[in-house]
Amino acid sequence: MSVKDIKKTNLPIDPRSAILLLFIANVVGFMQDSLLVEFATFTALTILLVYCGCVRQGLKWGLIFGLVLALQYHIFLIVPPFVAASFTVLFVYIRKMLPCLMIGTIIVRKIHMRYLLLALRKWRVPQKLIIPLSVTLRYFPAIKEEIMHIRDAMKLRRINGIERFECLVVPLIVSAAGTAEELAAAAVTRGIDNPVKKTSAVDIRFSPIDYISLAAGVLLVGAAFCL
Amino acid sequence: MIKIHNVSFGYTQEEQILKNIDLHINKGECVLLCGKSGCGKTTVTKLINGLIPHFTDNCRLEGTVTVEGKNVAETQIYELAEKIGSVFQNPKSQFFNLDSDTEIVFGLENAGASPDFIDERLRVTTKTLNIEKLRRRSIFSMSAGEKQSLAFASVYAMNPHAYVLDEPTANLDEGAIEVLRAQIGKIKEEGKAVLIAEHRIYFLMDLIDRAVFMEKEEIVRIFTREAFLALSEDERIKMGLRTLGKKSVCSFPHIPGHSAEALTVKNLCCKIKENIIFEKLSFSVKSREILGITGSNGAGKTTLLRCIAGLIKQSEGELLLDGRPLKKKERSRLCYLIMQDVNHQLFSDSLWNECELSRTEAEEAKIEEVLRQFDLSELKHSHPMALSGGQKQRLAIAAGVLEDKKIVLFDEPTSGLDYEHMLAVSATIKGLAQKGHIVIIVTHDTEFLRCTCNRTIVL
Repeated sequence: MSVKDIKKTNLPIDPRSAILLLFIANVVGFMQDSLLVEFATFTALTILLVYCGCVRQGLKWGLIFGLVLALQYHIFLIVPPFVAASFTVLFVYIRKMLPCLMIGTIIVRKIHMRYLLLALRKWRVPQKLIIPLSVTLRYFPAIKEEIMHIRDAMKLRRINGIERFECLVVPLIVSAAGTAEELAAAAVTRGIDNPVKKTSAVDIRFSPIDYISLAAGVLLVGAAFCL
Repeated sequence: MIKIHNVSFGYTQEEQILKNIDLHINKGECVLLCGKSGCGKTTVTKLINGLIPHFTDNCRLEGTVTVEGKNVAETQIYELAEKIGSVFQNPKSQFFNLDSDTEIVFGLENAGASPDFIDERLRVTTKTLNIEKLRRRSIFSMSAGEKQSLAFASVYAMNPHAYVLDEPTANLDEGAIEVLRAQIGKIKEEGKAVLIAEHRIYFLMDLIDRAVFMEKEEIVRIFTREAFLALSEDERIKMGLRTLGKKSVCSFPHIPGHSAEALTVKNLCCKIKENIIFEKLSFSVKSREILGITGSNGAGKTTLLRCIAGLIKQSEGELLLDGRPLKKKERSRLCYLIMQDVNHQLFSDSLWNECELSRTEAEEAKIEEVLRQFDLSELKHSHPMALSGGQKQRLAIAAGVLEDKKIVLFDEPTSGLDYEHMLAVSATIKGLAQKGHIVIIVTHDTEFLRCTCNRTIVL
C-alpha cells in the first residue's frame, strides 16, 4: 500500500508464505524462552528483510533490538529497581513483538494489496470476507487524505481543545458516507458481485526463498517449544 | 440499443424525479443530456446502468428500460456491467484499487476473463487510449485529469457496447477535457452508444448527434446537433445552459478603484518533499479585486492557495500585506479558504452553531446579519448536511466572513455547477470583493473566470 508509484510488480516473496510467516513469528515470538532462539529468529528475519530489499528497515529493527537488550542486561542492573521494574514489561513485549513487526514490514512495504487478496482467494477464503476486507484496506489511505483536508480547514477557523476532536469526526463521517456510496456504485457497475470464478491478470508462485523461509520457520517453532 | 420507454421515477413512493421519459439511443450515436442541476440528468444515467432500481429500495419505477433487448430491472447488475460502462463525476471515489494496472483489469477479473485475454485488453486499452504514462502508477500520485482518464480506461478495457458518463468533466482542466473528448471520439468511431450528462458542453459540440434538454423531471425538447448549435445566446441563457463555444459572452468586469491595501507575492517557491511544485512566482492583488488563477491539473494551484493561507511554508520568497511581510501563522489568521469539497469545513449540527463556532463571544446580531446577507437566515436551525451544495458553500463563506478574514481564497468553487448556479457563485464572490476583501480564485472554469475575475494568471 505504498503511496509511491509501483515500479516493480515482481514480488520478493509469495504473499501466502508471508502470511504464514506472520503466524509463525507470532508463535515463536511468544512461546520461546531462550536467548538462543530469539537471536536465531532475529538473524533469520534480518536476512529475509535484506533479501526482500528492506535494508534500512532491517537496520532500524536491529538497532531497536540491540538497544532493548543493552538496556535490559546492562543499564537495568545499575538503575534503581523500581525504574527497571516499570520498564521491564514494556521491553519484554517489544522483544516478543519484534518478529511480527519485521514480517509486517515486508508485507506492508513489498506486497501490494492486489497480491494479498489473490493469496486469500487462492486459499478459497469466501468473497463475502474478501470484498469487505479489500474495501477497508482501500479506504484507509482515503481517510488519511480527508483528515488532512479537515485539519487544514480547522487551522483556518478558531477551533481549539476538545472541540477539535468533534470537529474532525463530523465531516469525516459525512464524507465517508458519500464516498462509500460512490465507491459502491463504481464497484457494482464493474461487476464486483459477479458470481463467476474471478480470474487474475497476475499470478503468484512459490520460489525457493518461500520453501527456505517456511522451513526455517518450522525449525524455529520446534526450537521454541523444545528449548 | 438503449430504449427508455415512458419511465416515471421517484426515490420514494411519493417523490417525482422523472416523468414520462422516452429516449432511444442507437448504436454509434452520441447523445448529450443537458439541463439545470436537479432536472434529473443523473437519474436517467442510473436508469441505464442499473443503479436504479437495483440500488434503490422502495423506489417507484414505472415504464421500462431495455439495453440490447434486456430489461434492466430484471437483469442482474453484473450482467449489465458487461454491456454498459459507467464513468462518474468524482475521480476520487470511483476506484476500487490503489494502482492503475489493477484498476484497468478489475472489471475483466470480476467477469472471470482468462489471464491471456486480460493481458491483450490491457495492451489494446493502453495503445488505443494512449495512456502509457498512467500504467503502473499509484492512484494517489495522479492528478484529477489522470484519474478520470484511468476511470475511462478501466471501463474501456471491459469493451462494453454502451457508455454512460455522468458529468465526467466536473473536476477537469481544459487539457484533460481535450483528452476525454478524444476518448469519446474513439468509442463513437467503434460504434458504441454514448450518453453524456453534462453542464460543460462546449467540448462535445463536434461529437454529439442529438442533445436532450430536460427541465423539471421531463424531457422538454430533443435537438439535432444542427438545431442545438443554432440556438441563440439568449435562448441558451434562458435554458440555463453553459456556453456552447469556447468563448463566452460574459466580459471581464472593469477593474475597481484603486485602494492602498494589497497582498503581494514575491518570488514565491514551494516544495513538497524536495519536489518543486512552483517557483519564482510573483503577483499582487488589491483589496476589492478578484484574481483568477488557472492552469492544468497538477500545476500546483491548490498548493499555492495552501501556501498563501499559511497551511504550508514556502521554501523561498515572501508574502506581504501592505508591504509588511507575513509569517505563516499570520497568514492563517488573515486568510480563509473555501475548499473544493465544502463538506470538509462544516463542523456543526446547525447553521447557527456553525456560525457561533466562528465567534468566540456571541454576537447574535452580527450572525443574523451575515446569514441574511448570504440568504440563509430561514435555514438557521437546519443541519448543514441537509443543505444543497450551493447553500453549503455560502454557509462556509459566511463562517469565514464572521471571522473577519481579510483574504478569501476559493478552490474550484464551480465544479459541477450549471449556468444559473455558476452566476450565483460569481455574484456572491463579487459581493465579497465589494466589501473590501481580497479574493483569489483557483479554477478551471474559463466561463466562470471571464464572468468573475478582474485579472487572471496562468500557473
